[in-house]
Amino acid sequence: MARRGLFWPLFALPGAVWLVLFFLIPFYAVLSVAFGTVDPIFQGPVPVWNPFDWHFTTMRSVLEQLRPGQVFWTVFVRTFAYVGIALAGCLAIGYPVAYYLARHARRTKALLLVLLIIPFWVSYLMRMLAWIGLLLPDGLVNRSLVDIGLLSHPHGWLDGQPSSVIFALVYGYVPYLILPLFATLDRIEPHLIEAGLDLGASRFSTFLHVTLPLSKQGILAGSVLIALPMFGDYYTNDVISGSPGTSMIGNQINLFFQGGPQRTTGAALVIVLAVLLGALMSYYLYSTVRASRQPVTA
Amino acid sequence: MSEAKGGAVELVELRKRFGDVAAVDGVSLRIPAGEFFSLLGPSGCGKTTTLRLIAGLERPDGGRISLDGVDMAATPPHRRKVNTVFQNYALFPHLSVFDNVAFGLRRRRTSRNEINRRVGGVLEAVRLEGLEKRRPSQLSGGQQQRVALARALVLEPSVLLLDEPLGALDAKLRKALQLELKTIHEQFGITFVYVTHDQEEALTMSDRIAVMSDGRVEQVATPEEIYEEPATVFVADFLGISNLMTATAEGAHDGRCLLRLGESELHAARGEISARGEVRIVIRPERIRVEPYAPGGENRIPGMVERVVYLGSLEQLVIRLATGDVLQAIVVNDGEPKAFSQGVPVRVHLPAEALRVLPERPAGEVT
Amino acid sequence: MKRLRDWWSNPWGRPRALVAVTWLYIAWSIVPIAIAILFSFNAGKSRTVWQGFSTRWYWGDPTQSVLHDPALRSALEQSLKLAALDMAVSVPLGVALALGLTRWHGPGARPVNVLMLFPLVTPEIVMAVSLLLVFVTLYGIQLGTTAQLLGQVTFSVSYVVVIVRGRLLSIGKEYEEAATDLGASRVAALRLVLLPLLAPAIFASLMVVFALSIDDFVVTDYLSSDASTQTVPIQIYSSVRGTTTPALNALATVIVVATLLAVAFAYVVHRRFTAGDEAARGSALREIAAFDV
Repeated sequence: MARRGLFWPLFALPGAVWLVLFFLIPFYAVLSVAFGTVDPIFQGPVPVWNPFDWHFTTMRSVLEQLRPGQVFWTVFVRTFAYVGIALAGCLAIGYPVAYYLARHARRTKALLLVLLIIPFWVSYLMRMLAWIGLLLPDGLVNRSLVDIGLLSHPHGWLDGQPSSVIFALVYGYVPYLILPLFATLDRIEPHLIEAGLDLGASRFSTFLHVTLPLSKQGILAGSVLIALPMFGDYYTNDVISGSPGTSMIGNQINLFFQGGPQRTTGAALVIVLAVLLGALMSYYLYSTVRASRQPVTA
Repeated sequence: MSEAKGGAVELVELRKRFGDVAAVDGVSLRIPAGEFFSLLGPSGCGKTTTLRLIAGLERPDGGRISLDGVDMAATPPHRRKVNTVFQNYALFPHLSVFDNVAFGLRRRRTSRNEINRRVGGVLEAVRLEGLEKRRPSQLSGGQQQRVALARALVLEPSVLLLDEPLGALDAKLRKALQLELKTIHEQFGITFVYVTHDQEEALTMSDRIAVMSDGRVEQVATPEEIYEEPATVFVADFLGISNLMTATAEGAHDGRCLLRLGESELHAARGEISARGEVRIVIRPERIRVEPYAPGGENRIPGMVERVVYLGSLEQLVIRLATGDVLQAIVVNDGEPKAFSQGVPVRVHLPAEALRVLPERPAGEVT
Repeated sequence: MKRLRDWWSNPWGRPRALVAVTWLYIAWSIVPIAIAILFSFNAGKSRTVWQGFSTRWYWGDPTQSVLHDPALRSALEQSLKLAALDMAVSVPLGVALALGLTRWHGPGARPVNVLMLFPLVTPEIVMAVSLLLVFVTLYGIQLGTTAQLLGQVTFSVSYVVVIVRGRLLSIGKEYEEAATDLGASRVAALRLVLLPLLAPAIFASLMVVFALSIDDFVVTDYLSSDASTQTVPIQIYSSVRGTTTPALNALATVIVVATLLAVAFAYVVHRRFTAGDEAARGSALREIAAFDV
């Protein structure tokens, strides 16, 4: 009897232990460092494992710098702005593409799907590398724009331009949005759309009143899926801009982890970021649960 | 070759809950060796769970299961001399027909020659010779069903459990396979426990039927008895169209029950004829005699034809009685010009020997 | 003019605007990569001006090609080594976890289920920082290949669970039950029925883990020790803005080709595995593509 009850849990055990050791406890280590102290001689962070002995000085100073006008405030606002605009850009591009693929593509569907999946499998930094090559001062973009007369001299696309960073974020993350959007749109019964048309709605108004509401959950899920990593992204910014003027939360954290004494501050920032994203995630889960509880007729 | 091969199954007060739902709620059955026994009922009545309990795929919360007098509670499914034909066959898609059928024999470390001989034999019995190398996905629905049957039969179980084995097939194929299953049952001589929601299937194939509802057995009897003498309202209702009416019973007189239905007085010769008070009475549509309108008459009630439905060999009449009840009657289409059409007043004869008084609860249970 | 408008907005035809957007997007997403690959074959040192075709940046150049530049070569080796190790550890671990989580209904299953989903939504920098801190302060694990592997497995394993669990749920319990009914013990049912049926998902997982590992930058970078544990993405990150040769493009191209070949191979094998199994085949592309969470 005991063997029968233990058979399947034994399968889950190694994975569960792994996740506790390498996901749960490490996160606690961040807390211990953020609320710990700094070694006065070696300037390294000293974690405090007992929550009753935690020091809140670092966190307090981080939170103070988060007030309007302070350093972190600027970075946070910038991060939200960049992520918000990039997300809007991704949706503006991704939704029509996913919609076309799910609704209208027939013979070309398989080919399109393969073409849409390719960027998904090309290393992210390779894709950044590709654009950097194009955006260099003597790159193809500048040369073409100068040739057709839109620019008088090459533009410094890679010299700390917020627009370049947002552009790169859109380029980098849109493939991850298209596939979940496609999956949602592909599941919508074609009959529902035909019914919309049959009941006198135009194509556009059918889209607005039938397709769009039905794909709301997919939009939300896809947005969360790409917004979360964007909030922690620092490498896109580093390779496309490299300027502190476009620095995001991720860059700030990364900066603090390059040197010793600042790691405590970095850990505190990680916690702030995690709390923020946790709130975002909770809102998403809440809305999903609410949507699934609503009667279908609503 | 049919003697003493089958196993006798006995269930005593079997219980199984899933969360708040009592899927099997005190089922007791005694299935003698070699019988073709059906569990019949609507979906969710507990018939499949009962089958799975016998197979050992579920563990009972209470009660006993014994096979040939030996308690099987502690025996895991792979050690029971019981095999199952699953609802969707569960043929292993990655194995050929031969390997599917040989699967169980290999688990018993049967020799290669023996496997070849027995698999060949059973495939012949289900008429699948020549398809050994096919994958299940390359077979038709009927062929897949036969592989599932062969796979279970090759192990020579003493009891074969069949869970809606014909459910996925079309009507014509079902009919053919019903006969085939019956033949195989006779040929192998083992006990069949057959789960179905199709009353016709149960009636044509079974030696005995247990009608189940809400995890309980409503009636156990031969097909004739189940059809002719339904013990409860549920059984009557579940087995084909039954005309159910509520009447007031006034006890037995000369072996018949005196009933009041509105203004009319009726006699019923079957069922709980000594009942008193409010009862349900039932009559099968084909037992109703529809006569041209005339006043009075014993066990006769005036009514009016509301609708006539042409069914080919039969004609179905929907008749509203003066009492307000609506009855369905079946008349044989004998080529005579239509005597009854919509709106025509008629007199309905409900013969006493066809009229049955039902208890609300299963027999033997007092509430 | 009117004909043009009819052509553009024919109510029965396909919406031309959407066709245009879709193809423009595809061009936009793929052409830059194609150009970057093209420049890996440039004969000159420029990444922007075409100077003729050559393979010098792959193997021709005696000091600066992928084959001969020690930094590039070691990055490539480290990337492939980590990918192989990651596949070897996280796939068995994830398959077992998926089996445990779908079949075990005890009180502990739920929290583990939730915990398993966290790595999928946690930004990499959070995972990287926490692993770095725990290795340095608590576990005393040296940064380097071991630390990188532990980190990569931690985020890979959840993808494996999601893929395998999807397949497990679509298989259902009936095949296992049929096997036990026919006399197979639970271990035999697992080995003879469940694992063969899971093969497509296990294969898809292998490929997904390969791609995840090859593509990973943040965790791998944070847990790297010195130049010898740098991977291709780290190499790209650290030298892309500097004055560099098309050898970097060549290095990236090798990885891209390896990944696409792996995916194509996985797709072909997947089709073979699921020959005749229409349901599984239908989901094949999506399974490999999107690991639908």
